[in-house]
Amino acid sequence: MAFRRRRREAAAGNGQQQNPDDHGVKGPSSALTSFLREQGINAEQIRLRYERTQRNTQENIIEDENKEDENKKDEENIEQNQSNNLHSTSIKLNFALDSDEEEIDDNENNNETENNLQSSTKRMKLDDSSSLNKGATIYCLECDQNFQISVYSKKSEKYGKIGYLCPSCTKIQIRRERLAKKHEIEARKRRKKIATALLDKKKFKLPSLQDFCIDIITKNINDVELLGEIGTYNKTKICRILAKNRSLNDKTVGLFLDNNTTSLEFWDCCKIDKNSLDKIAAYCPKLEYLTLNMCGQLHNDNLKYFGTKLNNLKSISLNGPFLINDESWQLFFESNVGKNLKHFHLRNTHRFNNDSLVTLLENCGQNLESLTLSRLDGLNSKPVYDLLPHFLSNLRNLEISSPHHENLIDDDMIINLLALNCETINSLNLDKCSGLTNKFLIEGLKLFGANITKLSLCDLDQIDDEGLKSVFDNWNINGGLTDVSLQRCISLTDKSVYDLLLHSSQTLVQLNLNSIKDISKTMFSNLSRNLTFPLLTYLDIGFVRSVDDSVLAILSRICPNLEILEVYGNNRCTDKALFRDNLTVIGRQTDSI
Amino acid sequence: MTGVEDLEIENNTSKLIEEEDNEVAYVKLISNDGFAFIINKETASISGTLKNMISDTFEEGLTNTIKLHEIDGSVLEKVVEYLYYNDKYKDCIDVPEFNVPTEMALELLVAADYLQV
Repeated sequence: MAFRRRRREAAAGNGQQQNPDDHGVKGPSSALTSFLREQGINAEQIRLRYERTQRNTQENIIEDENKEDENKKDEENIEQNQSNNLHSTSIKLNFALDSDEEEIDDNENNNETENNLQSSTKRMKLDDSSSLNKGATIYCLECDQNFQISVYSKKSEKYGKIGYLCPSCTKIQIRRERLAKKHEIEARKRRKKIATALLDKKKFKLPSLQDFCIDIITKNINDVELLGEIGTYNKTKICRILAKNRSLNDKTVGLFLDNNTTSLEFWDCCKIDKNSLDKIAAYCPKLEYLTLNMCGQLHNDNLKYFGTKLNNLKSISLNGPFLINDESWQLFFESNVGKNLKHFHLRNTHRFNNDSLVTLLENCGQNLESLTLSRLDGLNSKPVYDLLPHFLSNLRNLEISSPHHENLIDDDMIINLLALNCETINSLNLDKCSGLTNKFLIEGLKLFGANITKLSLCDLDQIDDEGLKSVFDNWNINGGLTDVSLQRCISLTDKSVYDLLLHSSQTLVQLNLNSIKDISKTMFSNLSRNLTFPLLTYLDIGFVRSVDDSVLAILSRICPNLEILEVYGNNRCTDKALFRDNLTVIGRQTDSI
Repeated sequence: MTGVEDLEIENNTSKLIEEEDNEVAYVKLISNDGFAFIINKETASISGTLKNMISDTFEEGLTNTIKLHEIDGSVLEKVVEYLYYNDKYKDCIDVPEFNVPTEMALELLVAADYLQV
């Protein structure tokens, strides 16, 4: 012990001569260098990595040699001596560095140094012929102190000179490198998190305590027996997360059923069997709003049971109920429950056929306020579609999208329907009814669309500038649209889209102009000079190729409340675009990790 | 780690408050079973419910004492821990995970829903 202490004292004395913080002066550096340093990217590390791999291969060679030489006693002695020397230097090194922050790292360091020791002693043995004179006294490149060179002395390059660093400078240099590496890892993590959050259309923010709890609960949902008073909002949230995780099943579904529930939404019913679906009606007699998505297991008997139990049901929304046949649909619509329906939404089933629709119209037609018929390939009779205007006169929301054939939905039927419902209708969705032409716009929408605020006309390739322009030209009966989607209406250009924006600039909240490829940059310049969109929060201008960095800057300025801007496919939008901090731009090539 | 630190902070603040008699910068939360937590007002304001209670002229705001009859001491401790966690890391991106014991999750969710955190 005494010996060691003495040695330590000597080492400490050695270290005191030098103040390690004296050498922080650096020469001028270029903008690129300082940027790279800020981001934690360092050429040094790349070099080190290369050297390390080189060293490893060298070591392998040495190890092989070692096996052969193991019996030679002399050499072992030499090695012993050398490693003793090295041990003393390693202690010196630790002492030269007297700052607190390194204390914790020292243990690791010792391990590292021991590893290094082994490898370096081997290397020294090999490098006997090298020009480096071991134990020679040289001057430190950084602080000009003279010191004995050892395997730990760091090679360094400065002002074009190559030399070695004294133990204390070496330590500082190593610490710097480690910090830089830490920064680099952190920067990478940060970039990754931001990019992930961007894909979810939000900014990265600290999760709330509720989020943490919900996370734990959903992970352990199979052990939960009762959710208790966690609030409707949280219940809905847990339900949605379970649906997204695909863990909504017979057992977990029971957690959301109680006799006071008036509204239920199960977004994924794949794993909910017939018996559990019956429980919805049995346990929740007061149910008014029911949404079942992916309900391929919904059986005829279930719908019959719903038809006898859910006397308060106002709204039913089903997606994918392909087990329900025509007979069951008819029975359901003829039941007391069916007759009370005000909202009926149906998507993705081929079993809902012409007769089912006729029964629906006959029994509920007068009451219906919302009707959705989307992707129903069993509906293939034009005369049946033409019956719609005869029954529906109270519609507020209408969606007829992706019909079996484009000829089924024609201008005259929609014009009639709009004329009869012009007082009430405020939301119209005719996506992919590509049989519609300018006539529907000019003679229908323009005349009877006074109350419409939400309009979706995706994939209508027959409507063009002439039709859309005439709608928005002096359309004073309509106070302005809030949600508009004209995605893939590829015949439209600047002229008509500008008129739309001019008409609804003060009211628009969501706008989708995806793939209207003929919109030019001129339109955005015109907008910049003449219009602002005070309420617009969501805008999709993906695949409008004229959009570039300057358009992003314009949009950021003229839409002060814009939160999400999608620019997928616009490869002229780069990370150099200048826009507000609170605007999230999604889909730039440079955003990917 | 963070939990221990926060508790230390809490202890310090409770000492402080005793010295400076009823300074407005701190607020006392009392749990169902009588545990009292004295925390920074600003930190407490992360919770929407607590913020409304102390920022107005309700009794809670005047006396700087809030009785939370429906929350147990152990749950409230976790809530306080989260409030300090939120306060500490709100501007950071690389944050350590906040540890919630599995058996407490449901109870904590009810409390968190009530306190709007």
